[in-house]
Amino acid sequence: MESNNTLGLHAAWIIPSISAVAFLIIVVSMRIAGYFYSDRTKLALLAPIVSITAILAGFILFWLVLLDVLNFGGGSISMNWLVVGLTEIRWGIFVDKVSVAMLGLVTFISLLVQVYSIGYMKGDKHFEWYFAIHALFAAAMLTLILADNLLFLYFAWELVGLGSYLLIGFWWEKRSAAEAAKKAFITTRIGDVCLLIGIILLFKATGTFNISTIFHIAESGGISDAILNSSILLIFIGAMGKSAQFPFHVWLPDAMEGPTPVSALIHAATMVAAGVYLVARMMPIFELAPEIMLIVMIIGLITFIFAGSMALVMSDIKRVLAYSTISHLGLMMLCLGTGGVAAAIFHLIVHGIAKALLFLGAGSVMHSIDNETNIWKMGGLRHRMPITAITFFIGAASLAGLPPLAGFFSKDELLLSILHDGQYVVLAITLLGVFLSALYMARVAIVPFLGSTPKHLEQSHESSSIMWVPLVILAILSAGIGFLILPLSSTYPGWAEFIDPSHHFELEPWLMILSIILALAALIFGWSVYLRKSVSAKQIIEFAPSFYKTILNKYYIDDLYQWIIDKCVLAFGNLVALFDRVVINDKAVDGSAISVYMSALKTRVLQTGYLFTYGAAMMLGACGLAILWWILLD
Amino acid sequence: MNTFESWLLLIIIMIPLIGAAVFIFMPKDREEMIQWSATILGLITMVLSIYCFAAYNHNDGGFQFANSWIWLDLPSNPIIGQQAIQLNLGIDGISAPMIMLTGIVMFTGVLASRSISDRPKEFFVLFFLLISGVFGVFASLDLFFLFFFYELSVLPMYLLIGIWGSSTDFKTFIRTKEYGAMKLMLYLVAGSVLIWISILAIFAESGLGTFLIPALSEIDFNTTFQLIIFPLVALGFGILAGLWPFHTWSPDGHVAAPTAVSMVHAGVLMKLGAYGIIRVGMFLLPEGAEQWAPVLLGLGTVNVIYGALSALGQRDLKYVIGYSSVSHMGYVLMGIATLNVIGLSGAVLQMFSHGIMTALFFVVVGVIYERTHTRDIGVLEGIAKKMGWVAVLFVIAGLTSLGLPGLSGFVAELLVFIGLFQTYPILGMLGIIGAGITAIYILRLVAKVFFGKLNEDIWNNMVDSKFSKQADSNYWERVSSVVLAITILVVGLFPFPFIKVIDTGVTEILAAMAGSL
Repeated sequence: MESNNTLGLHAAWIIPSISAVAFLIIVVSMRIAGYFYSDRTKLALLAPIVSITAILAGFILFWLVLLDVLNFGGGSISMNWLVVGLTEIRWGIFVDKVSVAMLGLVTFISLLVQVYSIGYMKGDKHFEWYFAIHALFAAAMLTLILADNLLFLYFAWELVGLGSYLLIGFWWEKRSAAEAAKKAFITTRIGDVCLLIGIILLFKATGTFNISTIFHIAESGGISDAILNSSILLIFIGAMGKSAQFPFHVWLPDAMEGPTPVSALIHAATMVAAGVYLVARMMPIFELAPEIMLIVMIIGLITFIFAGSMALVMSDIKRVLAYSTISHLGLMMLCLGTGGVAAAIFHLIVHGIAKALLFLGAGSVMHSIDNETNIWKMGGLRHRMPITAITFFIGAASLAGLPPLAGFFSKDELLLSILHDGQYVVLAITLLGVFLSALYMARVAIVPFLGSTPKHLEQSHESSSIMWVPLVILAILSAGIGFLILPLSSTYPGWAEFIDPSHHFELEPWLMILSIILALAALIFGWSVYLRKSVSAKQIIEFAPSFYKTILNKYYIDDLYQWIIDKCVLAFGNLVALFDRVVINDKAVDGSAISVYMSALKTRVLQTGYLFTYGAAMMLGACGLAILWWILLD
Repeated sequence: MNTFESWLLLIIIMIPLIGAAVFIFMPKDREEMIQWSATILGLITMVLSIYCFAAYNHNDGGFQFANSWIWLDLPSNPIIGQQAIQLNLGIDGISAPMIMLTGIVMFTGVLASRSISDRPKEFFVLFFLLISGVFGVFASLDLFFLFFFYELSVLPMYLLIGIWGSSTDFKTFIRTKEYGAMKLMLYLVAGSVLIWISILAIFAESGLGTFLIPALSEIDFNTTFQLIIFPLVALGFGILAGLWPFHTWSPDGHVAAPTAVSMVHAGVLMKLGAYGIIRVGMFLLPEGAEQWAPVLLGLGTVNVIYGALSALGQRDLKYVIGYSSVSHMGYVLMGIATLNVIGLSGAVLQMFSHGIMTALFFVVVGVIYERTHTRDIGVLEGIAKKMGWVAVLFVIAGLTSLGLPGLSGFVAELLVFIGLFQTYPILGMLGIIGAGITAIYILRLVAKVFFGKLNEDIWNNMVDSKFSKQADSNYWERVSSVVLAITILVVGLFPFPFIKVIDTGVTEILAAMAGSL
């Protein structure tokens, strides 16, 4: 280990390491305890204590790293992992303002979600295993954030995928959970294959995996345009897979089969944001390829609108939130496509906190009403579970963009970034999406919590304090964190300039007012449709029933993929297997064996056993040879 | 070097051989005694083979632990010269990990075979004979003995599969164990004919009157000779490595063989082929290797993609693993054909990694088959509930197979890919796509067989009455599979010590190649 830097950097690499160690401790102690105690429930609390201590330590160390970055501006340390021939592959971490912000987000949300899970997962058969995977996931996710080279990043990238796979499939006895886990892994794997190809292409061009070295070489024109463009595109496809961008979005809604806290942590706040983070991290070379930036923007825009429309019609509360997550990730990508790193990262943080809050709130609801997820079977829950309801409203209002909640500021920053890039058409469509996202947020908040309580829900009650305390903390942050965008003091010039000193804090009053009007309009519209029922939802549907059906069926994209898998990929596999069996094996291999056998049958006839046949053959041969000799001698 | 180290390789070869001889004289009905002595001998051999690897000095490189015993010495004969044939043992950076691999697979294989109740004595005699042959091939520096040990390792296979194997019987598709055994035998014998021809050709062409590999490698054979002989070597050994389209013996053989034999077969025997291509093909015939590399590379790519797609279309658990071996050996062939340090190091590491991984696969699949008497993916569902250990270990092997970072397969395949991208980026991409297809067939299988709801009725019908209380793997099988899983993790997380050793061997071979061109 080379050490050329300060305390904070060492603190930084310790953060993921602690969680990795916690994973090992839980797994090993689980096994050992299993041998000594037949009743493992007595020791059940050991697992969360270990994993939460680890992540808490991480969260405390985060402040040390933050202080270091504020004072010295971060840096990197690395060590050798592998040397082959003359090629060195190093492991290392890199800390700057963006990564330290992500570090804070991940450690903080992980901490709250794990605490919340103690209440939520109480009494589960595999309680310890749940926390073990959480520790593994935290270790991988934190490594991903800190990695200073692309290979190390890929390493962590795949491991967070593993954590997600294991947690989606946590209740593996459910067929749907097993299938969802598989779908998530395979869909993101397609992106990962591209990502790895892109990384190796860049390695071939530059001879290094180190991100900043690659930047230097690329900026000095050391990579040919073709290689640069194709590798960036491939890296972006990897990011699309992880961040569930269209057309890879199909796995995320299905991933809701996992326990709800998992959805909050992995499938809303952290892992799915990894793609956005990767693009933000690689921005210096993305900017060298304007065509790819355009693709990033377009994909982001499509995802934003498209997922928003699906969020509007789903009736499963978790799926609504899942599509809303996809939509917001699209918005972040869109913003990155215009070069707005600071705005995208800020929205990533704000969205992460708010969405974690919403998922945990949904989990709190499900926990008290017997795992019901259909919003139409809920209603009036604010009387039964007031804390959950209020915190949920705050989260939803923040994402809908109501001032002065955090979402308002982050959304404003995003719109500003698009405006500055001069993309007026995109801006207009984005504003439509803003309306859409406020509308579905109104729907998902109003339907379950307001109105009258159905009879079967009268027994529902507020969740225990271990669950609502995290909700309250997240709600406070969701409400207040937006002020970070403003230049608060002489040393803090506002978020945009803090992240990128070339930017300055600005306001565009008309855009701000427009977005407030849109959000309010959406809320009032939602209010009148879903609560007052003064506008009938049915009538709206009847404008275009087939379009409604298409959206409800997720634009048939899932079905299309299923068809491709079944009818193309598997059929092709079966075809190759059949070819192997029939053509190569039966015809070529067995066939040649059989032809040897057959020719043996034929030639066997010559072996008569009669002396006169052999004698005749000998005579004939002798004559033949004599003639041959005679001809040759001539 | 002390005496112990100079005798070490001979000891490693002789322990299984002597063990086999001792088993012959053990009373048939003392099964416990045979099992225990096999376990202990296996453990000793494994420890010695790991010592061999650990004590290999990567700073010095070259052939270490070397020693030789003259076998045929005709000083006055003009053709067969002085000390023509000698049992010359020694290992370099390529064979050292192979020796360790064989040791580990032998020990874990013995553990997995403790449950064999049908004629255990004969089983262990043949199994130990086979292992002794494998050690011999990796340790021999003399072409004659290399071939001798090669044949020694191939012959017991026939009996092991024919007697202790199992037949596959889906209504539309029947493969008897006798068929599998016979096919494997014929293929390997055909391969060995080619190998024997090329060995004799090399011997005659060199005019040295010796079979010693280091001596032969000093010779610059003429180009035409190399171009003609290299394909014979590559094909002869390639058959054993599962080279497409001569691979069909391998899935059929894997499936028909009993657990421990599948482990050795897929885990170690296929590596003999790849090892032979490197040691005899590349080391002795560098120009031929250089010229023929693109062909080998193309076939290797076909292996990867074709094997993965075929695996996707299988219904039998063991056939899936069998075809995945064909696919993974493709990476080895591709890595060899890159002819650069990274690719070749990756190939050797992949040989090691795949050997361990596939052994782990076969241990757990063997447990499933023993308990349920079926390997039909269509029938098995949700068995993780009854077989927790088996499920976890299968998933570990599966994740290794699809190249998850942190496990050994990733490092090996990554190096192969980087090596490929230096000269053949398109084929490199195909290789990575192959790893993507692997994810599909592995995860489908895991989701279908292990996850989902277990149907208790079907299970009760299916499970062997002996195991109705405890269907999960027993202690021996657990030790066996956990040893393999830990090896996978260690190599995956800390590959540097392994690569350091491999690197020395690979660098020397490539230096020899560069020198002769």
